[in-house]
Amino acid sequence: MDTVIDTTDRTFVEVAEIWVPEGDRLVWGGGAYGGLGGFEVASARESFGKGEGLPGNAWAEARPVVLKEFDGSYFKRTEAARAAGLTAAVAIPVFAGATLKAVLVVLCADDAERVGAIEVWAEGDGVLTLEDGYYGAASHFEWVSQHTQFPRGQGLVGGVWSAEAPILMRDLGSAYRFMRADSAGKAGLTNGLGLPIPVPGGRTYVLTLLSARSTPLARRFEIWDARTAKVGAKKEARLVDGICSREGPLWDPDNAGRERAVRIWQGPVGHALGSGLPVVESGSAAGGYAMMVALPIHAHGELSHVVAWYC
Amino acid sequence: MQKLVVIGAGMATGRLLEHLFEADPAAYEVTVFNAEPRGNYNRIMLSPVLSGEKSYAEIVTHDDAWYTANKVTCRFGERVVAIDRDRKVVTGERGEVPYDKLVFGTGSDPFIVPCPGHDLDGVVAYRDLDHTNRMVESAAMPGARAVVIGGGLLGLEAAAGLRLRGMEVTVLHLSGHLMDRQLDPAASYLLQKDLERRGIAVMTQASTKAIHGDGHVAHVELEDGTELPADLVVMAVGIRPSARLAREAGLEVGRAILVDAQMRTSDPDVFAVGECVEYAGHLFGLVAPLYDQAKVLAKTLLDEEDAFAVREVSTKLKVTGCDLFSAGDFAEGEGREDIVFRDPSRGVYKRLVIEADRLVGAVMYGDTADGNWFFGLIKDGTDISEMRESLIFGPAYQGGAAQDPLAAVAALPADAEICGCNGVCKGRIVEAVEGGATTLDAVRAETKASGSCGTCAGLVEQIMSVTLGDDFVLPAAKPVCPCTDLTHEDVRRLIKARELKSQPAVWQELGWNTPNGCHVCRPAVNYYLLADWPLDYRDDPQSRFVNERNHANIQKDGTYSVMPRMWGGITTPDELRAIADAADKYGVPTVKVTGGQRIDLLGVPKEQLPAIWGDLNAAGLVSGHAYTKGLRTVKTCVGTDWCRFGTQDSTGLGVKLEKMLWGSWTPHKVKLAVSGCPRNCAEATCKDIGIICVDSGYEIGVGGAAGMDLKPTEPLVKVVTEAEVFEWVVAFMQLYREHAKYLDRPYKWLAKVSLDWVRETLADPAERAALNERFAISQSVYQYDPWKEHTAAEQERRYQPLADLTLEAAE
Amino acid sequence: MNWIDIGALDDVPLRGARLVKTHAGCVAIFRTGEAEVYATSNTCLHRGGPLSEGIVHDRKVTCPLHNYVYSLETGEVVGPDAGRIATYPIRVEDGRLLLDGDAVGKRSAA
Repeated sequence: MDTVIDTTDRTFVEVAEIWVPEGDRLVWGGGAYGGLGGFEVASARESFGKGEGLPGNAWAEARPVVLKEFDGSYFKRTEAARAAGLTAAVAIPVFAGATLKAVLVVLCADDAERVGAIEVWAEGDGVLTLEDGYYGAASHFEWVSQHTQFPRGQGLVGGVWSAEAPILMRDLGSAYRFMRADSAGKAGLTNGLGLPIPVPGGRTYVLTLLSARSTPLARRFEIWDARTAKVGAKKEARLVDGICSREGPLWDPDNAGRERAVRIWQGPVGHALGSGLPVVESGSAAGGYAMMVALPIHAHGELSHVVAWYC
Repeated sequence: MQKLVVIGAGMATGRLLEHLFEADPAAYEVTVFNAEPRGNYNRIMLSPVLSGEKSYAEIVTHDDAWYTANKVTCRFGERVVAIDRDRKVVTGERGEVPYDKLVFGTGSDPFIVPCPGHDLDGVVAYRDLDHTNRMVESAAMPGARAVVIGGGLLGLEAAAGLRLRGMEVTVLHLSGHLMDRQLDPAASYLLQKDLERRGIAVMTQASTKAIHGDGHVAHVELEDGTELPADLVVMAVGIRPSARLAREAGLEVGRAILVDAQMRTSDPDVFAVGECVEYAGHLFGLVAPLYDQAKVLAKTLLDEEDAFAVREVSTKLKVTGCDLFSAGDFAEGEGREDIVFRDPSRGVYKRLVIEADRLVGAVMYGDTADGNWFFGLIKDGTDISEMRESLIFGPAYQGGAAQDPLAAVAALPADAEICGCNGVCKGRIVEAVEGGATTLDAVRAETKASGSCGTCAGLVEQIMSVTLGDDFVLPAAKPVCPCTDLTHEDVRRLIKARELKSQPAVWQELGWNTPNGCHVCRPAVNYYLLADWPLDYRDDPQSRFVNERNHANIQKDGTYSVMPRMWGGITTPDELRAIADAADKYGVPTVKVTGGQRIDLLGVPKEQLPAIWGDLNAAGLVSGHAYTKGLRTVKTCVGTDWCRFGTQDSTGLGVKLEKMLWGSWTPHKVKLAVSGCPRNCAEATCKDIGIICVDSGYEIGVGGAAGMDLKPTEPLVKVVTEAEVFEWVVAFMQLYREHAKYLDRPYKWLAKVSLDWVRETLADPAERAALNERFAISQSVYQYDPWKEHTAAEQERRYQPLADLTLEAAE
Repeated sequence: MNWIDIGALDDVPLRGARLVKTHAGCVAIFRTGEAEVYATSNTCLHRGGPLSEGIVHDRKVTCPLHNYVYSLETGEVVGPDAGRIATYPIRVEDGRLLLDGDAVGKRSAA
């Protein structure tokens, strides 16, 4: 498989953590911190009010928030993050209708060798434009993205918008492929995961996780479809697309309609399905990967999809 | 070891080799020729590769290692040029290979529309990886435009893929609805809507005339003259089995290579599988039967018994977020019953076709969860009589809950306009209800919704019901017909608010529970659509009562009456002569002078209608529309021209009004009269619109009736000039056209909305001007003489029997 | 069966009908779907109305004179009234309409 390469290198995302509402505050709901024990300890005793810190901001603004610099920001754990070598963070609110279920925060470490990007696109005037993004070393691409817009149906971002479903792209297209041709040894961004982030008020947000062929964001991606229109009244989700550096493609056209399924509460994806909350696991619970994240998407009054990635 | 030569490395032969090696790896020494310079890949997954959602590496089914491990000699990138069946030798471009057994897996070739320019650079078929790569390259240019010819499965997947790649895409489809072989119009409507939501333009009934460009494609020209700029043209209009090589080898070939149930051709040592095969009159394009064939052929090659049987196939569209499923036979046959389920709020349409207690076909859009279950029932021929009532709800749901009649209203977006008079949208009403307004009066007081003409009251109540749930008891309203729970007023408002512009759109979005309506709702919906969207909607003759479809009044004996227009009741000796001649020529049994000041010819057989119309047309006479829900007559008195009491030119005014209004469709028939003085000789005071001339100007009265009900007109307004008469009369007509329930005469409509509201509305000069403008737009489409149109040869045939078998026997 | 080609499928409009004259009387040819057709007697049992002039909906037709509704599949009157009109075998092949000549009383040529 050339799409995702198994590597023991550190991946783009280093930390994933969950914040859940309790009364009028967000409290720590666990996470995967790799070897960054100090940051984990600092996080576990933290909590955030609405509008406070990064998770509190995602809650208050009801949109995904990207933080590119901790210094001088509202980020509350700057000291611990700097000590852990973390440089940027993204907070993704998980809403079911008007109710905040949780906030998922992923933290990244900057590194000139690792090419990747996390973007937030928002709808305005009938097109999607870049609202926020973390591009690491890919500064030229950041500039290009800021000057790009996607109508419905176009590109990964416009595709997610019109399909109202997560999409996993293996080939982002020529614009992405050649954008870093000036930099020898860099293949450019080829793979991307795009997911709709439904928020109260109906504004459309699309979150993308983009990575280069040689330095994947994650080693395994899965998209699980849980819509009633797909699985019926059964409380289960079907694996409709996925790719893995070990197993190769995780889809099978000869098996359409009878895809791999998980019932609620079965494994991390089943837990996300049952609880409606994001799930972060590490070690054996993450299928042997360093960490895994299962992110549920609530749309049109139901839990529609679960997106999982394994680093 | 016997020698097996396979021509073509496709999905069928790939599967064949898998079965063969699995059963007996030592049975054959295999050589595979393939014109493409690569081995077998999953061709049906090319669309996601095109879109970028899959990589080519992922869809390779047999890589080099597999061929090596199975000791297959690969002659990839090499065409077979000839077969010598006597010597049992296959000749490739690079030499001969002997065989004991030979398998054709030559597949199919894409069909290229042979229009001028089809060979230009930039015109591609969509069949293999090379085509896919060329399309991906074309999409690399920012702002590049693609035209996809063919709205079938492959064409639509190509369109969605190219759109995802960033192209501006237009799909051209010859038939009236997309995927017409797999979907019915309702499912097709949803599919088209979905594609348009992705920014893909869809043109149906679009026939390609030519492709133009200097070396490279520049634009596509349609038969109707439309020109579409294009950097890429994708031909996806169908496939032709590739059987040339087999024909040249002397094998029996029909539409494709003929095989028996063991996949054997006319030569016992030569076989064929896949799309190049014809079996028992069938051709094959979907993958499931190909795999069946591969399995059978593997057995045959190993001298085991097996037989191929044609079975039902199912179709899915590989476009992310497009949930579509079609299986079995849902269009043809007798003795069948439909079960239709629509959920407009979720964009769901399901239709099951049942025949003799068996499910024979299923079409689904928007919710395909039970697709495979239904497909299983179809394939197995399961007796479904026990679960018939709840069948459509699928295996998990056997309770049989009724469909929510409020789903259509629940599905309305917050900004959908509910009260057109006062510009109140759904969101405002919901707000008021949530703010404590729990009665219609309270909502009306707070938002003004339904406070004017009142025709939206039903809708407002339904929104209250959706918002309040069980706390609100919906007053019983009379639905249009058993096909829907909505009233006429609701349907009219929703057609406007949701911009529904076709009958399938109305049936789906408003949750019709029949496949295509009935004789009650179809004419009404047809009228509402043509009145509200004159430029977008095309009148449907099949949704009209016989009189309007045949442009003549059917009589009780099945003959028709023919009545030419006499403008304002004025005629000439020449016209009268033409009428007399026609009556003589066609043996018209009865000629009658009508109450509307014209002459009726009664008792004309249908077949003679176009001929008699032609004769009357030649004398300058046109259809009197005596059969329509539209403008009938304008009755006049002789006015100042001759009458010693006349105050104005009532005849001239009547003629001008008739020339202005004729041809327009209205909710019910409309009759006018103009009297030259208050003595009222033209009986203007019992017409739908009656004008009485007085010394100081004109009194316009409306809402008179002289039928089952007898009612004088009520004064609308008094004006001074003729120009004002036209402005007011047209404005009134258009208001009536836009608001009244189908089959309500103006007096009935006025009783509902009140004359005060009409007076108030028309008192605004800007409103009058807007109504006049919309009427003019409608007249630009509908003011024509149907007689003239229907005497043309193409239309004239409609009036003759399709065939006359009584003549044939006499020969 | 004695299939007689009576014309092209496309000569009958979708959800419309055409007439065929036969020795068994006038036969109405209805097109209810893209490639779905039915043939029945053209004459309403009530007052003899021409059914080929009625509105075609689902697999039914409504008589243009007094709204009697018939099932095109069985020929039976739908709803409160009772009765049945004749139906005739018809099929579509390669876009042509084939009517069973025996059923409509075609005299054999032989």
